Amino acid sequence: MSSRGSSSRITDEEINELVSKLQSLLPESRRRNIGRASASKLLKETCSYIKSLHRDVDDLSDRLSALMATMDANSPQADIIRSLLRS
Amino acid sequence: MQATKSFEQAFLKQMLLGIQLSAVSHGSGSLQERKSAIKLSADVAMAVARGSKKWTRGLIASLSKEEHNRSFLQFVLGKEFERPAKICHSSWKIPRSKNIVRRSLRFLSKRKSNIRAPNSSVLAGTLVEKRTQVLKRLVPGGQSMDAFSLLDETLDYATCLRAQVDVMQKLMTTLEASKHRADSDAQRPKEKFHLLAMVGSWYSTRKGLRKRLSKRPKLTL
Repeated sequence: MSSRGSSSRITDEEINELVSKLQSLLPESRRRNIGRASASKLLKETCSYIKSLHRDVDDLSDRLSALMATMDANSPQADIIRSLLRS
Repeated sequence: MQATKSFEQAFLKQMLLGIQLSAVSHGSGSLQERKSAIKLSADVAMAVARGSKKWTRGLIASLSKEEHNRSFLQFVLGKEFERPAKICHSSWKIPRSKNIVRRSLRFLSKRKSNIRAPNSSVLAGTLVEKRTQVLKRLVPGGQSMDAFSLLDETLDYATCLRAQVDVMQKLMTTLEASKHRADSDAQRPKEKFHLLAMVGSWYSTRKGLRKRLSKRPKLTL
């Protein structure tokens, strides 16, 4: 399946690259908490970041469902959705 | 890191289609049901828009474990869903994966400054392993991944999640703005155009537009 199976050697450069990409993934405010190349802190911030994104999606789903409940077929919002789908 | 524009467009469209679909079948359900339907549409849309990655397969697999999601998944994914999915082999553990975790992530602790307590690398290893377990639970399909795949998939997954949040936020803002406009008759076209501009490249030429109007979008994983 994966070319990088447990039998093949993972180079240090590859790990290096992934770690720096992970660091750059985090928003600025979280990056400041880490300091340089601390594996456990990086993991902690990454986990915390993903959890907060999950909460955001949950919250937005709530608000979108409340908003759409007030929509009917003739409302301008329905028009917007129709125009977004038309392609 | 930024998700691509084409991903955001595909995600938005796929999510709206899914929401429409749920609205037809659930109609006037409870608020909780509608919220779950929207969340389901958003998650499926994210997986479909991304294509085939370990986490997208893991996500679809875990969504399909819930009975009430099945008919939606069936409709959206069609043949892809019926195929016997290679679900997470959680019972199939790679004995060496633990060593890979220790090796690759202890490498990171070695990059710290020279002034360190003698036992800190051992401590770092344990804490790192604990947090790796947490990450494995957060990333769909993470349980069966080796350390390298986990980091790789985490990057991809977090980027897509971020885009999911951004697009849903923009949609919210647009719909809210138009609602206020309808209520108060004030002119607030900015958000609507922002969202439409995001999908504006769908309308590259008039010819292209007519062609696209006659075609049904294809849903592939």
